[in-house]
Order: sequence, then structure tokens, then C-alpha cells
Amino acid sequence: MTNEKVDVVIVGAGASGSVYASVLAKAGKKVVLLESGPDWELTDLISSEIWGRRIKPAGAPILLDGKNPMTYSAQGGWGVGGAALHYFANFPRLLPTDFRIRSEHNRAHDWPISYADVAPFYDKVAREIGVSGDARAEEKWRPAGEAYPMPPMKTFKNGDIWLKGFEASGIPMVPAPVGMNSVEFKGRPACLYDGWCHVGCPIGALANPQVTYLGDARKAGAEVRAWSTVTRVLTNPAGTKVTGVEYYDDKHQKQIQEASVVVLAAWSAQNPRLLLNSATDKHTKGLGNASGMVGHYMMSHHVASTWAMFDEDTQNHMGTIAVQYMSYERYPKTSHAGAFGSSFITAGFAMKTTDLANSRADLFGPELADYMKRAARRLAGIKAFGEEQPNLENRVELISEKDEFGMPLGKLTHSYDQDAVALWNANFEEGLKVAKAAGAKEAWSGRGSMPTSHLMGGTIMGTSAADSVVNSFGQSHEIPNLWVAGPSIFATAGASNPTFTIFALSQRGAERMASQWGTLTN
Amino acid sequence: MADIGRRSFVKGASLGALAFTVGGAEVVMAAGEARARGVPFRLLDAHQGETLEALGETLVPTAREAGIAHFIDQQLSVPPHESLLQARIFNFRPPFAEFYRTAITAVDAASQKLYARDFAQLTPTEQREFVDRMRQNKIEGWTGRPGALVYAVLRADAVDVVYGTMEGYEALGIPYMPHIPPEKRW
Repeated sequence: MTNEKVDVVIVGAGASGSVYASVLAKAGKKVVLLESGPDWELTDLISSEIWGRRIKPAGAPILLDGKNPMTYSAQGGWGVGGAALHYFANFPRLLPTDFRIRSEHNRAHDWPISYADVAPFYDKVAREIGVSGDARAEEKWRPAGEAYPMPPMKTFKNGDIWLKGFEASGIPMVPAPVGMNSVEFKGRPACLYDGWCHVGCPIGALANPQVTYLGDARKAGAEVRAWSTVTRVLTNPAGTKVTGVEYYDDKHQKQIQEASVVVLAAWSAQNPRLLLNSATDKHTKGLGNASGMVGHYMMSHHVASTWAMFDEDTQNHMGTIAVQYMSYERYPKTSHAGAFGSSFITAGFAMKTTDLANSRADLFGPELADYMKRAARRLAGIKAFGEEQPNLENRVELISEKDEFGMPLGKLTHSYDQDAVALWNANFEEGLKVAKAAGAKEAWSGRGSMPTSHLMGGTIMGTSAADSVVNSFGQSHEIPNLWVAGPSIFATAGASNPTFTIFALSQRGAERMASQWGTLTN
Repeated sequence: MADIGRRSFVKGASLGALAFTVGGAEVVMAAGEARARGVPFRLLDAHQGETLEALGETLVPTAREAGIAHFIDQQLSVPPHESLLQARIFNFRPPFAEFYRTAITAVDAASQKLYARDFAQLTPTEQREFVDRMRQNKIEGWTGRPGALVYAVLRADAVDVVYGTMEGYEALGIPYMPHIPPEKRW
């Protein structure tokens, strides 16, 4: 069945798709968002880790391979709002050094834009959806910008208890910027600090798409079609333009949605999968893939978690899942001898019983039961997110097995390089020193399998089709009315949690699209 | 949201328990209650249920009474996109039942080789020794998914039924503080 043609069809109703929908619907465009999962409402967000799994990935899995398989499922989304329905809402930004790593260190590649190009959009997003924090305090590490619209969040003992240790280690900690309300903001209430953010905030204190961009988009007339799984992007016979998408609806019926512009906002693994599956005789390797770059340079953050038990009550059930304190002190790429890459240091976060159990994954039986009782009020943690350098071999590709709609499954191959492992180890070493200086009764590194947090890359931005898939706005180098949004367009990973940058780049891309509309539709 | 997804979600979540089949009718109750009432398994056979209970109890004390086998069994019977199992977080490819069936087979095969008895028939001390070796992938001749993965998944399931409930929080003295509370203290 072919639907009435619209101006823009957006594949994916998560963080980036919601921004595009909001900006373009407000600009008077007829917008349809296609989302493969359910249309969650705030009342669906039960305060339970078990029930919270309903909003985690489902549908066709991405098969995992490599030395460090990308364990994305806890972070990914399923349904309207995507991963941003249950994200932690940590809002650090990338720093100027992230955009010119090639120029400064002869490593990886530069972004085609600078920090100054993105900074106004960080500020705009903060004004739009609300960010709590202390911008002035951060400006010891980054160029000055606007103040955040809300003061920092409350802190609790599970964060405060680390400050002495960081100070002794020469690491200044400042209030972390978060996409949560420390006070009422635009009619949305202040946070209650009960730590259920990661299963979805039903009161709207956390800036999920439902209460921000997506709500605005719907008010402006954007249509959201849930249970709509896109399998191909369609092109004209000459292969010079995209004409819409093919998808399967909630009754598993094949549908065609024609559109003047297609935006792929389906997350870093699915965007390449869709482009690769949309090959034609004019684009034999997939859309936007003349250089063979689609699916490559998949990136992640490794995380070094340091756990500690204190004599004091750490109030670890209080706060938010977002962190209370952060530092860019180890963000310069050569901060640790023998390792390369940025580290983003955080402290203080609320924990649930799963977190307590996972902090000592080796314990079971009576020892686990005893540990859980002790950890319930005494445990606290710090985390250092570490940068992974882009590697061509970390990739998404199609395999012969197919999903229920006949679309080939994607396989994601990922391995960390020696720099990443060295940086991870260096962050562990520093974490233990901080814990000791903080007066921890006992402290340990949360090792085990090297974590993969935040999936990025796969359709990276650059200056030409020779070395990248899209330009800095997310527009395909090869097909001007095909756009890609989200972390898949990041050129490098930095070490900062990505969602603030996803919002900022999407705002920048969507505004560009609106301003250049005539060139896209002629 | 499409009707089927929303209806089933709201039904389960608002009642705070799972739908079990009793006498041909669906009855909503907590997994521990289903075990106490002797509700028949939907997919597991008696031996599989007994083995999951023994593994769960070894991993997290009181998991048997909390209904770990009934929880897993009930969750294996719902569509994968409605599943609450940790298998979803471990990125297993549906159907998730395949993981549990092969894990139980691997555990029993290794237990027979080491002790000449199925895992559920071992003494608690033997079960602890076995699980500790499985956790470290130190059982020779182990077949199927790695022992450490079986340990991680089943431990996570057991943590769910024992500590993921409102009773579990209460037992640890942790305020639950829900925005939207599950009823019946789930």
C-alpha cells in the first residue's frame, strides 16, 4: 500500500528523530515518524527494573562478534522515545580537542566542523529542554557559553563522599550537567531523586523525547506511526534521489511511504543496516556507500568502574541515575602515560539492587546475600568513561540470515585496540587511588569483560564521499535528500556521554534542512 | 501503541504480577505464589524446573521459594518483545527457551561426568563447588554456551526474583520509592 506523500519521513522516534520532527513540523513541513516498537506513554513507565526491560531492545537482534562484542542491549531503546526514554541524561559536551584529533595528534581523523560550530546548539538545546548544572564551573576546561537554565541538582552522600579523594588526587570535580529538572522547568516538575530514571521517568522531570521534542512535534502536526519497521530506502530510477521508504506495519503488511526527504534516525547499528539493504543497480554497495564506508568506524566508550565500601551510610538509594559530579581533568588525549584518548570522570549516582549485585559479579550464594546486606547502605562508585579511537575494522555488515520481514540481519564486529585497553587500565589505577584517598574501607575495580557503552559511528561525517558518508549536517554526500541523524554520524567518540551532542547536532542538521529546503526538493 | 502490546503490558504491570494458567484459566499472581500453589509449568518439564530451582538457590539463597523456575517458565511463554528476562539484556536471539534448555543439558552433562548425578541431586556443598567452577569456565568437557555466561544469566534471573521485588528491597532495608508502584509489591 502506498501512503500519501509527505515532506519528511523520519525512521526512528528516538533522540535524534524527535529533534528533526520538532524542528521541521514547526517549520510547516508534513512529517511522519516510523518507529519499529510500541508507542510508550509516561504512564507505562513502572518503577521496577524488571518491568523496565519492556523498553529495552526487541525485534531483530544485531548479532555480535569481535574480541569485545558491543553489548548494547541495556542501553538501546525499543519503541517511541528510543533509548532516550530511559537514558541517564548525563549532558557533558565534547570539547574542542575532540574535533581536531588528527591535527593535534596525527591520530584518527578531524571532524569537518569545530567545537565553535556546535557550541551554539548545545546552548540552544539546553534552553529548549532544560539542563541543570553550573556552566561557569565547567569553563575551566572549555570555552565559555551560556549559563544552564537551571541550577545544579542536589547531591547526596554517595557523591559527596568521593570529593576528598579527588581533591587529594588533583582532580577538580564540578556539578555534572544533566537533562533533568533541579527546579520546575517549562511546566515540568522538579526531580524527586528516587533513582528510577533508567526505567523511564513518568513525571517528566527527565528530558525524554515524550515531554520535549516529540511532544512539540506532535503539537505541530507530526504523525508518529508505531510498530512500523522500515526495511528499505527507495530511490528514483536514476538513483539521484530518494523517494521514500518501504516498511511493514503493525499487521505486518508492506507499506510505502513516499517523501521529499528521508531522515534515518534509527541508531548507529540500524542506520548502516538500512543503507546497506537499500542497494540498487545504481548504488550496488548500498546507498551513500560509494566509498565503502557505510557500517565502518563503529565506536564505543569503555568504562572503568571503581567500587568502594565506606563506614558511613552512603545513601546510595538516593539521587538520580545521572551522575552528581564530573571532571574533564583527564580529558586531554595524552593525560595518561602509555595510553591515548580522553577520559571523562564521574562520581555519585543512585543504585538499585541489580547495581549492588553487579558490583560483585563473582559472588554467589551466602556470600552474595551477606554482601547485599552490607552494600545496601555502604556502597558507592565512580566511573571513568574512556575514548576509543575509530577503527575501520569495527563494523556493521549484513549477513545471510534474515529477520521476520525478510531483511538481512546485521552483524556488529567490535574489538578494542591497545590504546583503549591501556586507558581503561590507567583509569582503574587512578580510581583505586581516589578511593583510598577518600577513606574507603575497601575498594576494588569493576573488571570482567571490557564494557562497551554508547554505540557511535557507522555513517561518519567528513568532507567528502571519499572518506565519509555524510557532511557535518548529516546530509549524504551522494544523495542530497537523504539525511542521517544520531550518534552514527560522529566522526570520533570523545569520552563524553553522547546524547547532548546527538541533540545539538540534530538541531543543527534540522535547522539546516529547513533553511535549504528548496535545494532538497527541486 | 498497538492494542496487543499495550493491553498486555498494562495488565501485567498494573497488577504487579504475572499471568499463570491454573485449571485452564489465567490467574495473575507473583512467581513465588505460583510455586507455592503448585501451578504447572507452561514450557519447562519437571526436571528442568527442578534444575533451575537448584541452580537459582545455589546462586541466590531463597530464589527457589521466590519462584525462579515459575518466573522463567512464565516469561518464556510470552512473546520475546514482552519478555522481562535478562536474556533480552544479554542480546540472546529468540526464542529464549533455547538458552535455558541447552544450559540445563550442559549443567547435567557436566554434573554427571563429575559426580555421576544430575545437578539437582547434588549436595549443597557439591552444588556450590560446581557453580564456582562453572563461573570460571573451569569444567573440562563443558558443552554449549560458556559456563560463565550460564552463571551470569541465571544469577541475574535469581537476583531479579529475590532482590528485584519490593519485598527484596524491604529485606535489605532499602526504601523502594516508586513513582508508579507495581501493585502486590512486585
